[in-house]
Amino acid sequence: MKISSFRYLVSQGITGIWKNRMMTFASFCILLVSLLMVGLASLTAINLTRIISGIEDKSEVVVVISDNADKAAEAELEEHLKAIPNVNSIELYSKEEAWNGMLDSMTEEERAFFKYADENPLPDTYRLTVKDIELMSETTAQIETLDFVESTQSPTTFADVLISIRRIFTILATAVVAALVVVSLVIISNTTRASVFARRKEINIMKYVGATNAFIRIPFFVEGMIVGLIAALGALLMTKFAYEGVYNIFSDDSVIWVVMGMKKLYSFNELLFPVSVSYLAAGAVIGAVGTSISTGKHLKV
Amino acid sequence: MVEFQDVSVTYNSSGVDALNKVNLKINDGDFAFVVGPSGAGKSTLIKLVLKEIDATSGTVLVNGFNLKKLRRSKVPALRRTIGVVFQDFRLIPTMTVYENVAFVLRVIDAPAKYIRSRVPYVISLVGLSDKAKCYPTELSGGEQQRVALARALVNDPQLIIADEPTGNIDPALSYEIVELLKGINECGTTILMVTHEHDLVRYFGGRIININKGSIDFDEVVGGAHDEN
Repeated sequence: MKISSFRYLVSQGITGIWKNRMMTFASFCILLVSLLMVGLASLTAINLTRIISGIEDKSEVVVVISDNADKAAEAELEEHLKAIPNVNSIELYSKEEAWNGMLDSMTEEERAFFKYADENPLPDTYRLTVKDIELMSETTAQIETLDFVESTQSPTTFADVLISIRRIFTILATAVVAALVVVSLVIISNTTRASVFARRKEINIMKYVGATNAFIRIPFFVEGMIVGLIAALGALLMTKFAYEGVYNIFSDDSVIWVVMGMKKLYSFNELLFPVSVSYLAAGAVIGAVGTSISTGKHLKV
Repeated sequence: MVEFQDVSVTYNSSGVDALNKVNLKINDGDFAFVVGPSGAGKSTLIKLVLKEIDATSGTVLVNGFNLKKLRRSKVPALRRTIGVVFQDFRLIPTMTVYENVAFVLRVIDAPAKYIRSRVPYVISLVGLSDKAKCYPTELSGGEQQRVALARALVNDPQLIIADEPTGNIDPALSYEIVELLKGINECGTTILMVTHEHDLVRYFGGRIININKGSIDFDEVVGGAHDEN
C-alpha cells in the first residue's frame, strides 16, 4: 500500500467520526462510562490495599532483652535480628525511654505514686516491623531461639485477622474489577457492533468495487482508536475530579490516619502516570480492536 | 470473458436448484441482455460472476480467473476487473459524487494525479460535472444511477455487470442509461445487463439470454427497433 493511500485511509477514519457522529457519540459515551467504572473501582482497590498495608506495617514484634545482657550482648543480638530475612526495621527502646513513656501516659496522681520507686523495673526492648505479616509467627519463633531474648510479644492474632481481611479484600476487588471489565467489554462490543452494522451497506459496496479487507478495516480502526482515546481523556479528567474530591475529604492529617496507623490515600499526582497510560491504552485498544472485529463480520461478501 | 461450464447452484438452506447445468459464453466486447422471470436464476448468475457465492458444481471463468480455484484473498483482484451497477445504486451516502467515483481508483492504489484527472473526466461522460460535489441523497434516481455507472467505468474494467440498472428510474431515463452502456460497450467493454424490461430489450436488441427455472432456454442475437431507426 502506498503512503498516499494509507494517508487517505487515515483521513477517512478521522472524517468518519464526524460523518457518523450519532453512533460515534454512542460509542464514546459507552467507552467513557466503562473506563470510568473500571478505573474508579481499580483506584478504590489500590487505595484500600494501601490502607491495609499501612496497618500491617504498624504491627510490631517486641523483643524483651534479658537483664543479664550487657551492651555488647545487645549489639550482638541486634546483628542476629537484622540477619533474619523477614525483619524490616529494628529499633532499640531502652528501659529509660520505656519508663519515661510510661510516666508520660499517666495522670499526675499516678505519676506521684511511682516517683519514689528506687529502680526502673522495665527491660530494654527491640521493636521490629516485619516485611511479610503472614510470616510473623515463624519470625517470632525464630527470634525466641536467640541468646539474650527474654521473651517476645507479637500481635499474631491481629496479624491473622489482617491477613484474612486482606485475602478476602483481594478476592473481592479482583472479582469486582474483573466483572466490570467483562460487563464493559460486552457493552462496548455491542455498541461497536451496532455502529458498524449501521454502515454495513457501505462496507458491502467497498467489497464490490474490489477493496481488500485491510483497506476497509483501516478507517474503522483509526476511527475506533480516536474515539477510544477521546473517551479515555474524558474518563481521565472525570476520574481526576472525582478522585481529588474524595482525596480532599480524607486527606485531613489529624483524624483517622494517624490514630489508626493507616497510610494515607495516594494523591492523584502519584497515580497520574499509571492511570493515564492505562486509560489511554485501554481506550485506544478497545476502540480500535472492538471496531475492527465488528467490521470483520460484514466483510464476508 | 465470462464462461459457465455445466454450472449448477443449489442453495443449502432451501434446497432450491437456482441454476441447473448452465453452459454460457460471453466473449470480450459482447453486450448481452439477461432476461427471465423473478426467481429464474438471474441474480444467482450475477452472484456467481462476482464470486459472492460458489457454484455447487461446474466451472465459472471470469476475465481469466477460474472462480472454483480462486482463493478468498484474491477476490478483490477479480472484482477490480468488473464494474457493477445495481438497481438500488449502492452509492456510499457519506461520500460526494466525486469521492464515490474516486474511491474505486483509491482501492487499486492509483496515483493521486491520475485520480484527479480521470474522475472528473468520467463524471463528465455521464453528464454530472456540475454535481460532483453533491451527496447521493441530493440527486435524483437517474442521476444516482449515472454516478453508479461512472463508478463502474472509472477503472476501465473488462466487464460491466448491470443488475436491473433501470429498475428504480423513470422509463425515459432507462433508455438514456442503456444508451450510455451501449456507448461504453462500443469502446470494447463487455456488458452483461440483467433486466426484465422487455420493451428496452426489444428496442435495443442484440444478444438476449433468457433464463427460466435455472436453465437457459434462449440465447440468440435479435435485431432491435433501435437498429432499424
